[in-house]
Amino acid sequence: MPGAAGATLNLLSPTCRTQLGDWAHSWGGAGRDEGVEQNSKYKTFGRLLASCCAWLLRRDPDRGPPSSGSSSCLSVFPVPPYTIVYFPARGRCEALRMLLADQGQSWKEEVVTKEAWQQGSLKASCLYGQLPKFQDGDLTLYQSNAILRHLGRSLGLYGKDQREAALVDMVNDGVEDHRKRCGHLIHHNYEEGKAQYVQELPGHLKPFETLLAQNQGGQAFIVGDQISFADYNLLDLLLAHQVLVPGCLDTFRLLSAYVARLSARPKLKAFLASPEHVNRPIFGGRKI
Amino acid sequence: PSSGRCEALRMLLADQGQSWKEEVVTKEAWQQGSLKASCLYGQLPKFQDGDLTLYQSNAILRHLGRSLGLYGKDQREAALVDMVNDGVEDHRKRCGHLIHHNYEEGKAQYVQELPGHLKPFETLLAQNQGGQAFIVGDQISFADYNLLDLLLAHQVLVPGCLDTFRLLSAYVARLSARPKLKAFLASPEHVNRPIFGGRKI
Repeated sequence: MPGAAGATLNLLSPTCRTQLGDWAHSWGGAGRDEGVEQNSKYKTFGRLLASCCAWLLRRDPDRGPPSSGSSSCLSVFPVPPYTIVYFPARGRCEALRMLLADQGQSWKEEVVTKEAWQQGSLKASCLYGQLPKFQDGDLTLYQSNAILRHLGRSLGLYGKDQREAALVDMVNDGVEDHRKRCGHLIHHNYEEGKAQYVQELPGHLKPFETLLAQNQGGQAFIVGDQISFADYNLLDLLLAHQVLVPGCLDTFRLLSAYVARLSARPKLKAFLASPEHVNRPIFGGRKI
Repeated sequence: PSSGRCEALRMLLADQGQSWKEEVVTKEAWQQGSLKASCLYGQLPKFQDGDLTLYQSNAILRHLGRSLGLYGKDQREAALVDMVNDGVEDHRKRCGHLIHHNYEEGKAQYVQELPGHLKPFETLLAQNQGGQAFIVGDQISFADYNLLDLLLAHQVLVPGCLDTFRLLSAYVARLSARPKLKAFLASPEHVNRPIFGGRKI
């Protein structure tokens, strides 16, 4: 499984990958002392680097499976257990990507194009015929909220006790209800339904402003004083709505501050500025 | 005064030997508006466990699952239980949309698509001890009660819809025969509650 190496390679442009290949060749060559004066430390380092580059490239998904007879692999990169299988969109995965990024986790992306999906065999293999599909080691999960809860449970992002866990669930279910409304608008009813959607939006955002007001004056998280999976889901919903309905948070002082504060968390900020995130359309199949 | 989004949790409580109080909200009381305004999302059910007030039927189910040990035996099973419950919820939303917004025009298509929506649950049973245990693992979970309620409601809404699903049919019969659950399902309170509020089916 390519794991971190694959994820790393996915972040490199084809030009970079070609350069890596060149470097691997030249360092390996320098290590063999082909007319270049090198002391033994550089030769060893060169071979080490060459092996790493070669190993990386052998795990490049675009280059196909590792060739036989590959040299011994130095497992310098831990293989992340997480794989996200989804369309090239933020959609129902950006919340969990933000969670993973903010928690310092790495993961692999398997992007499913519209053509690949329409071919049909992946869809037939999915429990409910839908993406995302998520892998944590040998555990395969469907349903974006089940994935969020699984990560919440395993990474300690589910409230501090049973009471908070129940409140976290209550918040996440409210976010999910609104995702369904939003999805219905975008994919089924955009032209006719947008005006009414915009009119009703404040009423649907208000519960979250209320929850913040009731929790340390909105200075902490949506529930309690530690971040939960519901925060990432809510944040993603709010960020998407700032694009879909610009200014929609202007009347919600605490939600506006909440979005700014969470988005400024260092790892999350880096993720939100990353090309991968920026270049992913918010909604698949529709340009907004 | 309906089964709706509460019967699953009533079945869970009854089967687990728990007692509870019902505060029935009539349509008139609801339309008066002050209770609605006090609900987090402007909706029912509202649930009280001591001083904890919860909204969202699935949050209530998960809370009971967590506190009564009905959430799988480990983290892995918990994730699978969530995955099942989310599938049940997706179908509840489809069903609710049909009943409340599109019944006349939409029923034929709904019936046609129904087998495709039930099949995942048949598949899950087939993959778990040949369907002889529960929807996940070998102990009952909140997802079982939610699924059971969905299936019982569909046997009324679309009679015979489980005929082609051998394992689901057996599952419904087996769970419904659990002594406390059987007593609850035969009780006047349950029998006299309409499945869907606001619409006679």
